[in-house]
Amino acid sequence: MSQQVTRDIVAVKQNEDYCSHCSICSSLCPYQALNKEAETGKIFLDIEKCQVCGLCYSTCPAKAIDTIYYDLDSLINYLGKAKQEFDSDTLVIMCKGSAPDFSGVEKLFGVSKFVPLIVPCVGRLPEEIYFNALLMGIEKISVLACDEDYCRYDRGSPVTGRKILALNLLLNQLGYGQEVINLKRHSLKVMVDANLCIACGNCVFYCPYSAAKLASPGGINFELSACRGCGLCVAMCPATALDLENWERERISMLISKLSPEMEPPKILVFRCQWAVFPPLNGGLSPNIRFIDLPCAARIDNFHILEAFLKGIDGVLIAACSEEDCKQEKVSGKAQHAIATLGKRLSQIGFQDRLYFCTVAPRYPEEFDRELDQFSQKIRAIRSKEG
Amino acid sequence: MIITTQKPLDEILDFISPYANILIAGCDGCTQPPRGLREAKTLSQLLELGGKLRNKNFVFKTTTVAKQCDNYLAASILKPQINGAEAVLSLACGIGVQTLAEIFPELPIFPTQNTHFMGAEEREAGILEVRCDGCGDCLLAVTGGICPVARCSKGLLNGACGGSKQGKCELDSERDCAWNLIYERLKKQGKLGLLKEFRPPRDYQLSGWKVTV
Repeated sequence: MSQQVTRDIVAVKQNEDYCSHCSICSSLCPYQALNKEAETGKIFLDIEKCQVCGLCYSTCPAKAIDTIYYDLDSLINYLGKAKQEFDSDTLVIMCKGSAPDFSGVEKLFGVSKFVPLIVPCVGRLPEEIYFNALLMGIEKISVLACDEDYCRYDRGSPVTGRKILALNLLLNQLGYGQEVINLKRHSLKVMVDANLCIACGNCVFYCPYSAAKLASPGGINFELSACRGCGLCVAMCPATALDLENWERERISMLISKLSPEMEPPKILVFRCQWAVFPPLNGGLSPNIRFIDLPCAARIDNFHILEAFLKGIDGVLIAACSEEDCKQEKVSGKAQHAIATLGKRLSQIGFQDRLYFCTVAPRYPEEFDRELDQFSQKIRAIRSKEG
Repeated sequence: MIITTQKPLDEILDFISPYANILIAGCDGCTQPPRGLREAKTLSQLLELGGKLRNKNFVFKTTTVAKQCDNYLAASILKPQINGAEAVLSLACGIGVQTLAEIFPELPIFPTQNTHFMGAEEREAGILEVRCDGCGDCLLAVTGGICPVARCSKGLLNGACGGSKQGKCELDSERDCAWNLIYERLKKQGKLGLLKEFRPPRDYQLSGWKVTV
C-alpha cells in the first residue's frame, strides 16, 4: 500500500559523526547493505538491502549504528521488569528461530525457572547486555542460538559463538568463574508421521532444500541436516503426515482456541512471519487483535485460517516477507499462491474479504502497522454492514 | 494421473443441503494434488463456513481411502465409518464416485470434482495437460513417446495436417501441435523415416469397455 508515506521511518540508522570507518560492520553484514566507499573510506547503508539482523548494531565498536528494535536501552528496561516478573537469577536468551517452549528450555538447559529473552537472532545483542544482566543480579546466562547452518541471517549465530567465547574468558579473568554464559545450539525441524504418509512426493517437490527424498519402494525420508524448518512441506502435505517441531498443528489449533474467546470483536488474527514483523519486548495488545508468530509464512496452513473463521475470528491477516526478503529459499511466494488459491474458494462462499496477505519488512516499521490498520478498518466495515 | 478440478462450493452446498450428517471421503490415489485427508478437512471447514451463511449446520466426518476406485479396498475402509451418514461427498474422480455408489446403493454419493482426463502436471507452471486417451492400441513406440491420439486436436494418426503453424495447432494457438512435437523428437532420434510409414485408421473397438484379467 502507500509506500512513500510508510517508508520515512527506517529501522537501522547510521551516525556518520561517530563512525571511525573501521569496516567491521561492512565485513560482517550478511547482505552487503553496508559498503565502504573506496575514495573517502566512508561507510554507507543501503536500507533496501538491510534485513535488520542487528549484527552491525551489536558489533560496531564506535556505537555509530542505531536500531529501533531491541536496542540496549529497551533490552535493559525489559530485563529489569522481567527479572521481577519471573523471579529468577537465571537468564535464558533465545533466538526466535529455534526457541522451544518452556518445557523445551528445561530439557535443553535443565532450568525450570528462568527469565526469558527471545529476540529474532541472538547476533543482535551487544556485549553490554550480558554485563548489565550480571550487574542486575543474574548469576547464570544461557544462550540458545540456532545451529550455524540454520541461522536465518547466516552470520548471527556463528558470530555470537565467538562473542560468547571471548566474553567467558573475560568474565573468568574478572573472577566470575568459568562458563558464566552457557551457549547451546538448536534447530526446529520437520517430523514425519509414517502412518499417515501416502508417499505422494509433494514434499519432494516443495522442499527448497532437497531434504525430502522419496524412495520407491521405501517411502518418504527426510535428510534432517538439510531441513531448515520453513514448514512449506507441512502446509502442503495432502495427507497431513508432516508437522514442524514447535509449530505443530495441534499447538497452533490450541492457541487459536485460546485466543479467540479472549478477544473483542471485530476479532482480527494475524499470522506473522517472525522475520517480517519484529514485535516489541513489552508490547501491549489491542483487545481485538492477536498474533501468532510463524517460522516463515510458508508454515501458514489453510487449515488454521479456516479454523480461525470457524472459531469466530472475523478477519485473518497474514504478514509475510516479500520473496526477495524471504529468509528461506523464496518460499513466501509459494505461501502467497496457496493463500490466493484459498481466497478463490472463500469467494465462492462470500468470505473473500476476510482474508488478506501482505508482504512487509521490519526495515520499515510502520509498514506492518499501516497494513494492520487498513485491514482492521475493512473488517470493521464488513461487520457493521452485517449489523 | 487422473486430472480433476474442484467443483464450486455453491454446487456442493446445493447437493448436501437436504442432509445434516455427511461423510467426506478423500482419495489418496491418482489426482494431483492427491485429494486426501487435507482436502477432506479443508472442504469440511469451507462447507461448514458456507453452511453457516445459509443458516445450515452440517456435521462432517472426514476420512480417506488409498484408492476409491478399488471396490474391495474402499468398502473395507468406508463400511465401518458409514454409520450415521446421510450422504457421502467423494473427493475422487468419476470412477471413485461410481465405486462408492456401488458400495452404498442406498446412499446419495456426490462428486466434489470435475474429472477431465488422464494427464501429467508441469509442476513449476502448475499446468495439467492431457497425455492419454485410453485408445487400447498404444502407438507411442513409433511416435517418439508423444501420443497423437490424445494430444493432436484432431487425433490424427498421420500428421501433421496443414493447420500446424509455428509448432502450434490451428484450432488453438496456445496448444502445441502434437505432430510437430513428434517430428522434432524423431528428428532428434534420427528416426524421421518412421513418419513415412502410413498408419491405417484406428480400430475404435480396441478401446473397449471391458477387460478380463
